[in-house]
Amino acid sequence: MKNFLRRVMNSDFLPMNEVRKIKVVLVMAFLLVVTAATIAFAFFFDYSLAVKIVVMGVFALGSVVIFLLVRINRIMAAIHVSIIYTIALTLFYTQGTDSFYAYLFFYISLTVIVFYQELYIFLSYGTIVFGLGFYYILVNRGNLVAATDIPGSAYAYLVLLGIFYAIFLLQSLHNEKIYTDLNLEWVKLNHVIGTYQDFTLFHAEEIRKKSGESPLYEDVAFRKAVDELAVFVCEQLKDRGKDITNVLDLYIYIHERGLPKIIENDELSVATKKIANRLDKYLLNRRTDMVSILMNFHTRFRATEPYRSNRYEYHLGRLAPAYDEQVIALALVYRYLANEPTAFDQWGQPEKTMSHEEICQLFAAPEMEEFLSDGQIAFFKENADLFAEHLGRKG
Amino acid sequence: MKRDHTRVFPEIEEYRELLEIRHLRAKNHFVIALLGIGAVGTVVYMALSAYSASQILPLAVGFFALILVNAACLAYGRENVRFNQLNKYVTTFGVFGLAVAMIFVFQSPSMLSLLFIAYALAAFYQDRKVMFISNVLLLFMFLALMTNYRDFFSVANESLENDLGLFFYVIIFISLLTISQYIMIKQKGFFYNQIAISKETEFRNIDFMIDSCERATGKRIAAKGYFTALSAFAKAVSARIGIEDAFAAKIAILKDLEAGAARDRILADHPELNADALVRLSDLLFTNTHKLRKVALKISRAQAVDVHRREIFSETQFKTFNHPSDSLEIKIVAFAIFYAALKKGTSGMRPLSEKEIYDAIVHTDYYYYNDPGVMRIYRENSAVFDAIARDAFAAEAKK
Repeated sequence: MKNFLRRVMNSDFLPMNEVRKIKVVLVMAFLLVVTAATIAFAFFFDYSLAVKIVVMGVFALGSVVIFLLVRINRIMAAIHVSIIYTIALTLFYTQGTDSFYAYLFFYISLTVIVFYQELYIFLSYGTIVFGLGFYYILVNRGNLVAATDIPGSAYAYLVLLGIFYAIFLLQSLHNEKIYTDLNLEWVKLNHVIGTYQDFTLFHAEEIRKKSGESPLYEDVAFRKAVDELAVFVCEQLKDRGKDITNVLDLYIYIHERGLPKIIENDELSVATKKIANRLDKYLLNRRTDMVSILMNFHTRFRATEPYRSNRYEYHLGRLAPAYDEQVIALALVYRYLANEPTAFDQWGQPEKTMSHEEICQLFAAPEMEEFLSDGQIAFFKENADLFAEHLGRKG
Repeated sequence: MKRDHTRVFPEIEEYRELLEIRHLRAKNHFVIALLGIGAVGTVVYMALSAYSASQILPLAVGFFALILVNAACLAYGRENVRFNQLNKYVTTFGVFGLAVAMIFVFQSPSMLSLLFIAYALAAFYQDRKVMFISNVLLLFMFLALMTNYRDFFSVANESLENDLGLFFYVIIFISLLTISQYIMIKQKGFFYNQIAISKETEFRNIDFMIDSCERATGKRIAAKGYFTALSAFAKAVSARIGIEDAFAAKIAILKDLEAGAARDRILADHPELNADALVRLSDLLFTNTHKLRKVALKISRAQAVDVHRREIFSETQFKTFNHPSDSLEIKIVAFAIFYAALKKGTSGMRPLSEKEIYDAIVHTDYYYYNDPGVMRIYRENSAVFDAIARDAFAAEAKK
């Protein structure tokens, strides 16, 4: 429980799937409270005792199903069941009593649905709830209005429920847009970082070869450390630590043989191949997730420039607002691209520089919006010959 | 043991705030639009229902004032971001004030929902302080109205059940709204955090790449060649435009900066230059890990990535040792490899001390890169981890 609350408090550090799980657990807790209260409120309802018992039994079953789905990590299924459960509760109340408070369940259901922050879920279930609310108000309007009420008060219920739905719909649409854009930017950034790390890894390998060191995965001390650490953790968590040595052996074996050969090997079981496939992202002989995380972690301990507000600004128009400075910046960038290696060549060496034609094509690409002003691009086009003549690669 | 979490890179805080403010302005537009619709709807309804001008006018003025404040804060927010922050609080109080005013004017049970709508409007901002204010206002106003003005909400079939149900479920509803808002605010924080971390990771990875490249090849950028070419280019451009070399002074300053000349001396030699302009010009340096080199490297990769839409929401994009599809054994092995690699160090990556590793793993985002069970074992036994690694690597050092 303490651990769960800590995870709730730190949910801004958790990825989407973890947050979804937290949401389902919270909704499940909320539904349990409401269901418990329903046992008391059910005494006032118009249903027969048998119906009340059956419905409460179904709710209990629903709670068990959500719990099991969370346990087996079927989070999306658990989300659907929890929403259906909430709608069922709404129906149970609105059909069981003509009291005013039952109307609140439409707002409660919409809040549960919007909580999940999934647009298609809101559009489907949210619309169903709104439709049910619409029908309920039209049918039960006699129970909702006061003796001396405002003109068209039943329609006021409808309009206000509609506005509540519309605000959350708008919020969901807006969030969806923001998160999609941020996600796209994030994925792009990660891909770009990957290209830097390919270069870094290549050079790190060169340095290692020159120094005569063996690769990490062949290093006996490293293997011993990993082996003992893994056995220790495994013993703490599962009593038996020996099983994990098989996983470690397989991990080293993938480095030696390569994943494709292991997958093709008929002598290995399907389970072993599955584990090998999952271990592949943690190999140390190319840029895998493991290598990327190690590099990113290490950058934390590297000296870096003090923070300035334009630290992540890469647009030459904004870095150099004066016209002459923009020309100088553009010229230096051109010179860099034309003379310094920035990509891997056809032989896999990080030696490729860009030709004038490639730079022209690059500067005309829509991606340049992030780096160059329209004025700079126009200036480049008008003076491309001078760029090539004075700043291009010589020889 | 209590663990205070900090960001993996302290530099990202300002950028996170910047992202927040950028999106806050878009949210403000929505709130203004919704307030406008609310104002028109209310006034039209009251006019059609033959309410007197003395009842219509105060509400219309209230809506108008709130929209005006929003628009003004939005305009001034361009100059000072604090206006955007102020706007959130003013609007929150404003929408609840309008909701209560409408409840008093209409005195109808149907108007109780206006409090929920006020909450939903304020929830647009997804801000923790706004959430707190909204909760307090919603709870206080509901209790105050139900206690002192119960007759506003009297319906045809009054009963004990109705009273109990109303109090109980409004409280439940407020709790649900609070939890929901809290998690959504945190979720938003996660996205901003990831972007900010990636920006800083990129910045540092470029430095790392440049360093490893220079170490491996022993080559550095020959600044002299750059300046010779740049001067020739500048003269040719000036000649084409038909002016004297307009770039010579700035190129001379850049040369001095590149040569490491003292800034005071450069400022003394160039009286037309002020300190801010000099700082700005230093962004045009292109050797070592200077800004312009980073720009060039980033430009060179601008077309190297092609992201497909289906990749966007893929969980596999998130690099972690805690993939839900992995078994516990794989998660343990992954952490053991990670820890041992940090302790051992590799070419370009020095071995890290136990304190460095512990602080970074336990007190930052990296904690959540791992299985909670594995993290608990590490947190409680970091000395054992350290001893195992030291023992393994010491034996190798003795050979």
